[in-house]
Amino acid sequence: MRKRVVVTGVGAVTPLGCSAPELVDGLMAGRSGVGPITLFDPAELPTRIAAEVKLALPELVARSASAGGSSAAASLSLRDRKIAFALEAARQALDDASRGGTRPGGEQGGLGASVSVGVGLELFSMDDLARLRAPGFLPDPHASPDERLAFLQTPSDLCARLISRRHGLLAPPLVLVSACAAGTDAIGAAYRLVAEGRRRWMLAGGTDSMINPLGVAGFCRLSATSTRNAEPARASRPFDRRRDGFVLGEGAAMLVLEALEDAHARGAVVLAEIAGYGCSFDAHGISEPHPEARGALQAMERALRDAGVVPGDIDAINAHGTSTPKNDPTETLAIKRLLGDRARSVPVVATKSMIGHLISAAGAVEAVASIGCMNAGVLHPTINLDEPDPLCDLDHVPHVARAHEQGLVLTCSYAFGGQNAALVLRNARLVPGGQA
Amino acid sequence: MMTGAGGDAREPSGAGEGGSAGEGWVVTGLGAALGAARTAPAEAAGGGEGGARAALVEGAGADPSPWLKVKKSRKFMGLQDELAVAAAGRALASAGLGGVALGERAGLYLAVGYIPFEASDIDPVLRGSLDDEGRFSMPRFSGDGVHRAHPLLTFRCLPNMPAYHVSVNFDVQGPYIVSYPGPGQLYLALDEAEAALRRGDIDVALVLGVTHQRNFLVEHHFARLEPPVEPQLLRDAAACLVIEPASRAAARGAAVRVFPDGHSVAYEPGDSLLPLIESFSGGAAEPPGEAGPASLPLRLWLEVHAPPAAPSSATGPRARVGHQLRSRDGIRAESAWVIP
Repeated sequence: MRKRVVVTGVGAVTPLGCSAPELVDGLMAGRSGVGPITLFDPAELPTRIAAEVKLALPELVARSASAGGSSAAASLSLRDRKIAFALEAARQALDDASRGGTRPGGEQGGLGASVSVGVGLELFSMDDLARLRAPGFLPDPHASPDERLAFLQTPSDLCARLISRRHGLLAPPLVLVSACAAGTDAIGAAYRLVAEGRRRWMLAGGTDSMINPLGVAGFCRLSATSTRNAEPARASRPFDRRRDGFVLGEGAAMLVLEALEDAHARGAVVLAEIAGYGCSFDAHGISEPHPEARGALQAMERALRDAGVVPGDIDAINAHGTSTPKNDPTETLAIKRLLGDRARSVPVVATKSMIGHLISAAGAVEAVASIGCMNAGVLHPTINLDEPDPLCDLDHVPHVARAHEQGLVLTCSYAFGGQNAALVLRNARLVPGGQA
Repeated sequence: MMTGAGGDAREPSGAGEGGSAGEGWVVTGLGAALGAARTAPAEAAGGGEGGARAALVEGAGADPSPWLKVKKSRKFMGLQDELAVAAAGRALASAGLGGVALGERAGLYLAVGYIPFEASDIDPVLRGSLDDEGRFSMPRFSGDGVHRAHPLLTFRCLPNMPAYHVSVNFDVQGPYIVSYPGPGQLYLALDEAEAALRRGDIDVALVLGVTHQRNFLVEHHFARLEPPVEPQLLRDAAACLVIEPASRAAARGAAVRVFPDGHSVAYEPGDSLLPLIESFSGGAAEPPGEAGPASLPLRLWLEVHAPPAAPSSATGPRARVGHQLRSRDGIRAESAWVIP
């Protein structure tokens, strides 16, 4: 018997603010989080803009440390931004889920609970590489184990271990690396684990920061990122005719997932239901989507089937919407194939127009955005959509937020390499005992 | 009987249980690929066994060419991609599914190791990025160093690329998991494959572990652990299990290579990385070294295709084998298997 799985807490660290309410407020206002890169000097790189998390890292680490934990967590967080983001988003999500006075899991706490996290690439430091290759280099004999672990390359799975440790999660973590689909996959996998009784509750989400020399340069080498350096706030323009690539963002989001009956039993506030999940492979091109959008369509159809709903039930879509020449028309085609005649009447928004592409965190942050908008009865806008691409002719809610009741929202992520993932989110008002 | 990762009590998997939901699954195909360049066959076979194992290992090279739909796609492939495709290709052939486009009803459950970087790839970038005092210089990196990187480097090291290459060459369109980075995560991928079969989402799953470790960056990682892991103990390997419901295997006349007899996964999050502890109770010879997420399927592959000893009985199971590990990330896993 499959259990209904609900979201009872959310946390977010994003370019629009370091909490879920700040994120949603910023999105509703149509504010861009994109600006010149400040985390390092991008010098002559073709792309010199990104959507950075604005809060200073020590402040963020101090906030997350209020949940307890070791000095190892703090020192690794200061070294690798995505670890800091994940720890803080996890703290927020658990605090949010504990508003009623009881924590997820009740007296059993983290027994049978775990984290499922989509993580970005290992942090690789060119500065450290230069030191390592310098004549006469000797490792610091006094370096702590954490310092050794963060020198040159920081393993990405550390954040799962640190979250588990800090919050006493005693079931095995899932660490997913399906690139741009990883955040959505992590939530989907966690949903399945809770629904099938294989976990009691879970922290699920994604974290990433590739705003570093090698990360930005790597995307530049692929000509994947926007070079609209003179107009940072206007650079991410999903579905617009003049889009020229995505804008790199960074951040994290975590959600607390638990069975509806457990949420009720402890008096938790239900924010949304994860109603369905689907994923698929394009099995097509290494850097281009299937020309008939086969994989994207399969992922969405599987998510709907899993939720027991039909395309006609969907009230809005949070698109992958990267602002790349290849993604946006193919995604539009997938939505048209899914919704048929209804395609032009279902709003399709692109969160990335304001916060850029958070890669492995994107799906998780967009799920938090979708939940916030769904509960507010408002769709955030797709900004910078000045001149819609004729191949992207859906209702993308240009420029300004719109009142729109949403019972079911589909949120989608598609990865470079052909992994596609989709979630169906149900409004808490449609869930027994959900928030009014 | 052991239980799954969540600690739920489940019936043991096995052949002959009816129904599409909750029925047992079996292993109908196994395949492996080893990075031969730095691994002598005899050593990889598990010192002293020689013979059949050495020959088996020698035949399990990383060349993916026989399975590539588009030969020129190899330029996009790093060693981990090649290993993954070769292991999957051999496993599918072993399952009688060679040359079959798997389609929507096949899933891929992949655990991939740490991101590989060869010194030969990164050193030219560094040389073009140093200032006069030998420090990293962003202006020089952006003006010179970055242009020295191989244009396809990104494709060759991303951790989701083995999944791409397997999906495209065997037409896997079903669901997936791409987990990372140690041998414990393979068990979690196996759990998800088993669950997808149980739900009826798929008819067949590829459970694949792959790791490219004999390179500058991954060797650096293992050298800093306590105790350090010597590079020669690290293996470049991929190994794949093809698993499917017992009824489907029987219906298509597929030979059962291995029956699962339960597995369990537990977790003990620590503050520091732990030493890896791993054992396999099957063959007389242990493959030396660490194969990361490929470890379990690699050992099963060796047991099935190059058994270390004669069958214990003419009528009973040929071997009962067990695998136990505690990985550095705190995952403890064990599994039991019966080789008919």
